[in-house]
Amino acid sequence: MTTKNRPVYLDLKQFRFPIAAIMSVGHRASGVLMILAIPFLAYILDLSLAGPDGFAAVKTILDSLFIKLVLFVVLWAMLHHLLAGIRFLLIDFHMGVEKEIATKSAQAVMVAAPVLAVLIGLIL
Amino acid sequence: MKFFVYRYNPDVDTAPHMQEYDVEVTRGMMLRDALMEIKRQDESFAFRHSCGEGVCGSDAVNANGKNMLGCTTPVVELKEPVNVRPLPGRPVIRDLVVDMSQFYQQYRAVKPYLIHKDPLPEQEILQSPEDRDKLDGLYECIMCGCCSTSCPSFWWNPDKFHGPQALLQAWRFLADSRDQATEERLDDLEGPYKLFRCHTIMNCVESCPKSLNPTKAIGKIKELMLKHSI
Repeated sequence: MTTKNRPVYLDLKQFRFPIAAIMSVGHRASGVLMILAIPFLAYILDLSLAGPDGFAAVKTILDSLFIKLVLFVVLWAMLHHLLAGIRFLLIDFHMGVEKEIATKSAQAVMVAAPVLAVLIGLIL
Repeated sequence: MKFFVYRYNPDVDTAPHMQEYDVEVTRGMMLRDALMEIKRQDESFAFRHSCGEGVCGSDAVNANGKNMLGCTTPVVELKEPVNVRPLPGRPVIRDLVVDMSQFYQQYRAVKPYLIHKDPLPEQEILQSPEDRDKLDGLYECIMCGCCSTSCPSFWWNPDKFHGPQALLQAWRFLADSRDQATEERLDDLEGPYKLFRCHTIMNCVESCPKSLNPTKAIGKIKELMLKHSI
């Protein structure tokens, strides 16, 4: 029997993703975001090291609310990627691979990453 | 109780649509019972089912976005209106009936049977109770397809990635003390796709109606591969 040209139900808006899957998507997205942030961060670092004028210029750039928001998102991405990465590593070592624990650890990553990002943001 | 059911008849329809049905809920009614009631109301509706008690694995569907067995899901646990769709990512033959050929091909590819190279003993091949225990949580798979069709890696590469169901079975035979083809089985799983497309998303674990854990089995295969390579 041929099933070519048949419809396929694969509507990601209708599919209900468990928290672990959403966390996993976040792991990928945060990785991509960090890569995209590298040129900007490298530019800022280069400028700040260019001399007193450059340092002052960087200071005014970093004072802008928009840039602060961007940096917060990058920080959140980094923490999410780090925590999710540790979770994946532990699962590779057969730790927390059971359904209940994997769900709880995914929830923990989702909550801890933004909370830590806010805390670190406040300290800095 | 209101149901919206995915309908597609290849002879008549150009595209699938959702059709509304109203089902009177009776005590202890399972989703399968509701689908049978819908079929009584509208005999053009098609879905697969057989044993009615979570053993045959025929009536896996996607209800309210999650894969589940119709026969083991009480309708009262589902939020109204209930949206019933076929398993995701599979070509639809008609209504909730999907083409599972690729899923079976992946199962076949892992050689889901004992390979014994020594001459067979006159009676059965004995196994210690401890070795038998290693098969618990593996042999219970009913091949309903809930796991593989909820796996994003399987959605994008159903032809190359074995999928959680087949990999659970690959481990079931690797873990069996009576099997003697460990090296060949591990060699067959090498490469970027068959096994290693798994990204530990764990949708399989979430959706398995028998509470099995393919992610754990995949981890064990990787560990055994590592042990054999050093």
